[in-house]
Amino acid sequence: MGNEDDTEVLEDGSFTRPYFLTQGRTRSDAGELAVEAMVAVSAGSTMPADHDLAAIYSLCKTPNSIAEISAKCSMPLGVARVLVADLWGAGTLEVLETTRSDDIAIVRRLLDGIRNR
Amino acid sequence: MASGTDNSTARPVSAKVVISGGFGVGKTTFVSAVSEIAPLRTEAKMTSAASGVDDATFVQQKTSTTVAMDFGKITVDQGLVLYVFGTPGQDRFGFMWNDITAGALGALILVDTRRLDECFNAIDFFEQRGVPFIIGLNQFDGAPAHDVNDIREALDLASSVPIVRTDARNADEALDTLVQLLSHILTTLSAKAAEEMAAAPQAAAVAAGPEQRPAPVVTNDMRSAAMSALAAERGVS
Ligand SMILES: Nc1nc2c(ncn2[C@@H]2O[C@H](COP(=O)(O)OP(=O)(O)OP(=O)(O)O)[C@@H](O)[C@H]2O)c(=O)[nH]1
Ligand SMILES: [Mg+2]
Repeated sequence: MGNEDDTEVLEDGSFTRPYFLTQGRTRSDAGELAVEAMVAVSAGSTMPADHDLAAIYSLCKTPNSIAEISAKCSMPLGVARVLVADLWGAGTLEVLETTRSDDIAIVRRLLDGIRNR
Repeated sequence: MASGTDNSTARPVSAKVVISGGFGVGKTTFVSAVSEIAPLRTEAKMTSAASGVDDATFVQQKTSTTVAMDFGKITVDQGLVLYVFGTPGQDRFGFMWNDITAGALGALILVDTRRLDECFNAIDFFEQRGVPFIIGLNQFDGAPAHDVNDIREALDLASSVPIVRTDARNADEALDTLVQLLSHILTTLSAKAAEEMAAAPQAAAVAAGPEQRPAPVVTNDMRSAAMSALAAERGVS
């Protein structure tokens, strides 16, 4: 796999990390945040005032998936998705990439890791 | 990876596999066996609860069925997390199946050999979506020990689909089954990559990921709908 640059310029002139462009997936095929997508607080962000948003924020001081947020904050999946997307849009949270389902290197790493338990 | 601020320790990537099969076949038990955390359960709104469609007579001590999805987690290394999602026992073709399966590396379809036909739907589902899968024969007490070839024939499975015996209650066996699933996924992906390389070396080399996707737009309507759904949920419970 040939890697060219550290960064690439998008059409609108903004930069993005190459990882984001070439490997990651944040959404399910349904166009929604993938259930396994991990979410973490953005550097320099502050705790939202709203109780439920604050609960998500506190949890995501360590990365948690959308499914975990839903389960641990006792909110239906669809609700967790919208709230996370909202916080993501506001720059409060970041959504980390999920791996691609055809990423051979990842599957090898999973195999080695789980075999050696 | 080249220089940069990327810190894989603090920013793990995640992957997902699915545990599927018919009603009461040991999906939740399997997820618990392999997960490093107590399995979590999340729910999505069901338009109507399925009832009377599943046959519970073979599974004793089983009074209710899962209508939400449960999932577990394996931290493979500091930068990589594997989520293990069980499909709901009922509402087989509900939206949660698509949600759980989208982007999955592969699936384990658990089978109770006393009720082979229970897994037909799952097999069709993953076959149609081109998701690699293996069959896990969960050895229930008193279940006849069928020959694997007979089972392959009964399930109309290609010879490339592994059929393994497992016990969802046993962590070592379940982890071993997970390893077999990952091996099968690796074999499948390697074969596919080799095929693509042979067909179009250039195209395969630049086969890129999805286009960049910005954060979804959340409208005020969506925001308030989510909040009132949550308020309703809290009010009821
Ligand atoms: N003998 C035996 N019993 C098992 C095995 N796996 C699960 N069971 C039992 O089978 C019953 C059903 O297991 P569950 O894990 O709840 O099955 P499930 O597929 O999650 O069920 P639903 O979500 O309701 O469809 C439980 O009583 C388990 O203890 C197995 O490998 N061998
Ligand atoms: Mg279950």
